Amino acid sequence: MSVETGRTARRIACGLLALLPLGAFAARTDLAQTILKSMARPGSAQVAFVEVSYRGMLDRPLITSGTMKWLGGDKLERDVEKPYQVVAKIGDGQMSVERAGHPAQTTPIARAPQMGAILAGFRALLGGDAETLSRDFEVQASGDTARWVLTLTPRSGELQHRVQSIVIDGREGAPRCMTLNEADGDTTITLLGKTAEKGLRSTVPQQAAVMALCRNG
Amino acid sequence: MRNPGSGPGRALPSLATLSALLRRSFDATVFVSRGAKILLFVTWLVAIAAIGVGVARHLRISSDLRSFMPPPQTADQKLLLDEIGEGPGSRLLLLAVSGGSSQRLAQLSQGLKTALQNDPRFLRVSNGNADLSALASSLLPYRYLLSPTLDTQRLDADYLRDQLAQRLEDLSSPAATLLKPLLPRDPTLEILKLAQRWAPTKQPQLREGVWFSSQGEALLVAETRAPGFDPGAQRETIEALQQDFAALPGAQDAKLLISGPGYFSVEVSARTKAEADRFGFITTLGFVILLLIAYRSAVPLVVTALPLLSGAVCGFAALALIFGQAHGITLAFGFTLLGVAQEYPIRVFSHRRAGQTALQSVRGLWPLLATAIVSTCIAYLAFFASGVTGLQQLAVFTITGLVIAGACTRYLLPRVLPEGFRDASSTPGLAQAWRFLSALPRPRWLPWVVLITGILIVAFAPAKFWENDLSALAPVPRNLLMTQARLGAELGAPDVRYLLVLRAPSADGVLALSEKIAPRVEALVTHRAVDAVELPSRYLPSLETQRARQAKLPDAATLQASLAQAERDLPFRPGLFAPFVADVERARTLPPLTPAVFERSPLGARLQAMLVPHDGQWIGLGTLIGVNDPQAIAALSQSTHGAVHLLDLKASSESLLIAYRQRILIALGIAALLLCITVTIALRGPRRALHVLAPMTLATLMVLVVLRAAGIPLSLFHLVSLTLAAGLGLHYALFFERRTDDPAEERRTLHATLVCVISALLVFGVLALSSVPVLRAIGLTVALGVAFHFTLSVLMAPAAHLRHED
Repeated sequence: MSVETGRTARRIACGLLALLPLGAFAARTDLAQTILKSMARPGSAQVAFVEVSYRGMLDRPLITSGTMKWLGGDKLERDVEKPYQVVAKIGDGQMSVERAGHPAQTTPIARAPQMGAILAGFRALLGGDAETLSRDFEVQASGDTARWVLTLTPRSGELQHRVQSIVIDGREGAPRCMTLNEADGDTTITLLGKTAEKGLRSTVPQQAAVMALCRNG
Repeated sequence: MRNPGSGPGRALPSLATLSALLRRSFDATVFVSRGAKILLFVTWLVAIAAIGVGVARHLRISSDLRSFMPPPQTADQKLLLDEIGEGPGSRLLLLAVSGGSSQRLAQLSQGLKTALQNDPRFLRVSNGNADLSALASSLLPYRYLLSPTLDTQRLDADYLRDQLAQRLEDLSSPAATLLKPLLPRDPTLEILKLAQRWAPTKQPQLREGVWFSSQGEALLVAETRAPGFDPGAQRETIEALQQDFAALPGAQDAKLLISGPGYFSVEVSARTKAEADRFGFITTLGFVILLLIAYRSAVPLVVTALPLLSGAVCGFAALALIFGQAHGITLAFGFTLLGVAQEYPIRVFSHRRAGQTALQSVRGLWPLLATAIVSTCIAYLAFFASGVTGLQQLAVFTITGLVIAGACTRYLLPRVLPEGFRDASSTPGLAQAWRFLSALPRPRWLPWVVLITGILIVAFAPAKFWENDLSALAPVPRNLLMTQARLGAELGAPDVRYLLVLRAPSADGVLALSEKIAPRVEALVTHRAVDAVELPSRYLPSLETQRARQAKLPDAATLQASLAQAERDLPFRPGLFAPFVADVERARTLPPLTPAVFERSPLGARLQAMLVPHDGQWIGLGTLIGVNDPQAIAALSQSTHGAVHLLDLKASSESLLIAYRQRILIALGIAALLLCITVTIALRGPRRALHVLAPMTLATLMVLVVLRAAGIPLSLFHLVSLTLAAGLGLHYALFFERRTDDPAEERRTLHATLVCVISALLVFGVLALSSVPVLRAIGLTVALGVAFHFTLSVLMAPAAHLRHED
């Protein structure tokens, strides 16, 4: 992974943390703090992603891929390119989803309280505000700076209702993969950067196989 | 006075008899001892306080226009008074929260919204965060009858396929956590479509999911239950709002800005009251000094207010007994008119003389005072005959007040006055003043010149004659108006002047009419005649429309088949959409939603305010936002044969005000006539009466001349103030007209009149400097009136005239 791609991936990870219920890196361990510091940078960037969702109401995983763009501030764009085109923009506390041939639909993120907390965490994250982040999430780091795993567990009851945990796998300060474990058992795994570029081998990948990609890819 | 029996009181035999009877029974009780006087004084005070407390408990001060205005004549006036008050726009409070990060402000906005939603004083609160629970959960199956989807779409395989494909996309989008719980029951997301349909038509920018102004304040709109013109209820509502806000966590660092007609009415009445209080303090101080100088004794200070206070509390008590309630404006007018009674005790103080008890002095004065009181009261009977509740209340209050104040002056006041006093006739400088006034030239042609030039100026002054806008008298401060304009523009607040009125025989008829004109209204919006319109059918379709949508719902078997076809190759688990199939089946057999049932849902209050029974039919009220071309909207009336029409609240309330003023003018005309007759009878002939009435008339004309020449349009407050001034003028003229050969008594008359004139000039002259137009109107008019009445009654008094000829 080039330095440039690595930085981009880091930034995108920041954005993803906002999208997925992530928020607080309690900088309890030096490792968590180091990772956090390396992620909080201004600028704009983009990175490829592949996302696999395992949902209870579906009998097979949903796979989308595209580009994640961080536009600076708390603004993020998530362009799905395959298997259909959708542009989702997140910022200013709302999310607009634009399908090809349809007018944009805007949804306030605060409608769901957990989204508000996520956004709060996101903003604090970009500002390197570990204290605000740790208000919403318990942060655990494992591994070393070369190969690490951050696990975020929501503190508030409301957030716990929706989100069980968020796990971020990374190497040398660059996130490779983010896993959102929802409280209802649904899981969404997002492969980032290099990992995403490699692609999936199967059209119906097993969850364990995707998770292995995260760990080893 | 040598021969009090020859005074005007003789001409009122019944009053004289009554007076004699009372005198015999009451005057026999002589309060000689100092202790007895103090006891009576204290008893009097206690009685005033007791009646005052009773009145405060029982008299309801209403702000209901109906208790003030004449009965409505036109349909619009009727609608305005009976149903609308000042329109739904007047019930909106615009709120802006500032002082914190947008995140913090959004939390406060949401917290305030939740608090107000639980407060029965508020009908509706919006902060931009569209509420998915806008439809009560028991009404959820009705979503297919309420949403327009089925008008253009059937729930067939093609449509479902498209919808399910979209839902699949949603499930891999950031919105998934939000939509996931809805999908099994509502795969077409009708709930979201309804939430969108019911969201305000014109919205500010959303940040953190709530409205934000361009200045970074979180914005909310709250609709109060209390009408905007009701300062009492609005004050209560706004205080509750402020408490709710202060109770929010973190609110102490933030600032809540409130705007809206209801807030203005509270602010303006508070401001008017504060200014009146401030001036009241200054004038009270001046009055105290004046009394001390004039009587060189503290006694008048202590007792001077008692007759007026007694009259006022009894006037209020009479209102409480007869009407139970009175309009605030009626009370303000009544209290102004009652100001005449402040003269009674002053006359008593000034006319005391050596060798006479206070009681004897009062008896000497009484015929003249009684003439003034009785003629004024008879004049006010005209108000009672007007048929307008507000004016009848005014008459009851004023007549009761004057009679009681007079009776107190006659029967109670002398009994609390101590024996010792200084004869006012010996006041230094008074004799010179009398000589100076007597020596003034009195050309006979002067009144005629004044009369003719006065009439010409009043008739031809270019200024607008009447002020039809009551709010111009208590204007909203400019900074508040600017805040309102700014927030109103950002929030798309409804127009407070115009309202679209829909008439039909039934509530459903109104909804059907509303649906029928919706496309034409849309066209008006497209052509920019108006920025946005909110019709009742936006919340609830007519029964017919609901039935038509119901008829398009497939039966369970058909829907199952379509769904199966739509789901083919899609990864949804089998049976996932069973709750959807069940809801559609329920919706097929539901009785259509009526306004009565819908009113139980969270948005019910909104519809209730837009759909009102009136006069055996139903009225729909459409809210207009940003009216640019009222004429284009008014044209809806022709194309619907009058079933829909544009109500101009301003024009209607002004027409009511004009009707009210006409009633007052007629009543005043009759009152003037009655006054002339009473004074003529009391003074036994037109010659003497003319000496009293001519200066009064000319002085009133002179006030009008000044006001007109200064370009001040006349309002009701000017009319009432002119009437007060005329009442005071009647006293001056009556006392100057009195025949007496005793120079000391003449000086006492001058002393009493001067004290009255100076105190009135003090009180009302200071009021004339007020920045609040209504206070200025009263102050200026009465002060001018007092000055003119005094000057003219001196110059046109016959006694002085005769002396001058001598």
